[in-house]
Amino acid sequence: MSTLTLDVREVSKRFGDGETAVKAVDSVSLAVEPGEVVLIMGPSGSGKTTLLSMMGALLRPTGGTIHLDGTEISALTEGRLPDIRLRQFGFIFQDFNLLSALSVLENVAIVAELAGAGSRVARDKAAALLTELGLGERLDFLPEKLSGGEKQRVAIARALINDPALILADEPTANLDSKIGHEIMRLLRGIAKERGRSVVIVSHDQRIRDIADRVLWLEDGAFRDVVTMATDPVCEMAVERERAVRAERDGETYFFCSRGCRDEFLGGTLPDDSRHPRSEIAVR
Amino acid sequence: MLLARRNLFRDRTRFLLSVLGVAVSIGLILLLAGYRSGIYRQASAYLDHAQGSVVVAERGVRDFLGTSSVLPAGSEGAARQTPGVAQVTPVVSQFVIFEMHGRKDGFFLVGYDPAKGGGPWDLAEGREPAVDDEIVVDRTAARQHGLAIGDQIRLLDRDVTVVGLSGGTTFWAGSMAFARISTLQSLLRAPDLESFLLVSPAGGTSAAAIADRLSIPGTEVLLKGDVIANDRKLMARVYDAPIGLMVAIAFVVGVLVVGLVIYTATIERRREYGALKAIGARNRILYRVVALQALIAAVAGSVLGVGLAYGAATGLMAWRPQFQVEIEPVAIVFVLAASLLMAVLAALIPARAVARLEPAEVFRG
Repeated sequence: MSTLTLDVREVSKRFGDGETAVKAVDSVSLAVEPGEVVLIMGPSGSGKTTLLSMMGALLRPTGGTIHLDGTEISALTEGRLPDIRLRQFGFIFQDFNLLSALSVLENVAIVAELAGAGSRVARDKAAALLTELGLGERLDFLPEKLSGGEKQRVAIARALINDPALILADEPTANLDSKIGHEIMRLLRGIAKERGRSVVIVSHDQRIRDIADRVLWLEDGAFRDVVTMATDPVCEMAVERERAVRAERDGETYFFCSRGCRDEFLGGTLPDDSRHPRSEIAVR
Repeated sequence: MLLARRNLFRDRTRFLLSVLGVAVSIGLILLLAGYRSGIYRQASAYLDHAQGSVVVAERGVRDFLGTSSVLPAGSEGAARQTPGVAQVTPVVSQFVIFEMHGRKDGFFLVGYDPAKGGGPWDLAEGREPAVDDEIVVDRTAARQHGLAIGDQIRLLDRDVTVVGLSGGTTFWAGSMAFARISTLQSLLRAPDLESFLLVSPAGGTSAAAIADRLSIPGTEVLLKGDVIANDRKLMARVYDAPIGLMVAIAFVVGVLVVGLVIYTATIERRREYGALKAIGARNRILYRVVALQALIAAVAGSVLGVGLAYGAATGLMAWRPQFQVEIEPVAIVFVLAASLLMAVLAALIPARAVARLEPAEVFRG
């Protein structure tokens, strides 16, 4: 399991020069720990995608630094970035962007091959991963034969195939219905928690807030406020601390999705690890 | 490699069109090159088969086909007396119009002495002319005109009888015919006329040595190989420019067909290439994918094009036997190299489009 951390410090991105210059991202800082799921939300044009692109070494910041496992990736030459992207990041796109001419298996295996794996090894690894993600029966299908949820699972497998430290997802539920979108988000959360991968998601989708450890609000290129999530000890649903129903017991504060859960909790026993929020606010 | 193949074969109609486009282009190039080779072969056919390695012509005449030659009187005798000369074959050559069954046709008529050589080298039917007013005509021309042995044709002011049919004597601007040298001298009213002497050196004497020794006033002495080269240059002046232009056009059409198909396929998959770049594929890998697609289309087209060229050449020669198409192995190597160049050129613009893709674009909807 990787212990890499993405550390974004005072990062800015300006497009254009002089009076026509537009500052898309303005001195943003963020640290992403292993196993953490960070959701960045914000209105259109707030700079979410620009920030995600910079975090994924797809776009060079005009100010600030981005460190990955102590290496300042924002200072690396263009020639070194493809390798970093290939091995350290897993990308999940809004439109899936699967290769239409390749089968499900080949779509995933090709990324392992790009990283230097032999064809046989890449295919075996891809098949195992896809089977694990519930696509064992779809290995030879072309993407056009898959449902939206299946396509996004293939994209997730593709993102995971090289064991990256960080998964960056751009609107991963935008083209999925509510139920499938939630399934995909739970899958991403499971990957983060079980495999120790960090996941940064950019989304408009309010329905997926509950799977994140942290929700950050980006507006006009800067974080405006943050939301810390906690787990309801009864139903295990993620809830925003600030909006949740609270209760004190044995000197600890607990957060609930509803009064019903609170009442049930106060009348019952305390599950392990349920009293703490999933993560602390980490916006600098 | 896999991605290149899959991308290419995904749209089979488009792939087949590109292969067909290249095949037509390569086939046309090969056919034109073969036609040019055929012309050259035809142009040198007579001298290639005639005896002698030195040609004596009228002063200033350096080719066999393009210029009339009238040797000074006594040239043959002077040649025979030159040390090291084994044999001298005098010939008269003249472009003439035959009238056959009411139709006129041009022939390159060679007058020769059957005892000394210089006549048809492949007598397919009949015999050589034994007396004046007998003639051997090219077999293909005879077939076209419905002539058979024993038929008479009108030559200038007299009728001559066909006594033989020769093979391999279809000529670039018509066909060849052979009569006794005395027949031509009589027809042209020039009793001692000789156009060329074909001189063979004796054993142990080189052609160059004979050429140096032959010093006959009013004549030009050339090695046979030089005369053949001059005849080919004559052909080249007439044919090379238009054939070269047509080859260039065919090549450009091939490049455009492959280029357009690969460019369209690349642009259609712009987002996919962008995703690959974002994931970490380097430009050179994507170039390879694009170039391989162009290469597969070009090579498949070339193979089909070679087949097409052979088929078209066979058909053309059956339909019009006077057209000789010689598809030479070197021409096949040339077109295969041309197809590689085609693929490289065709991949340039699509590769440029891929290189310009910003990987971050893939995040922008």
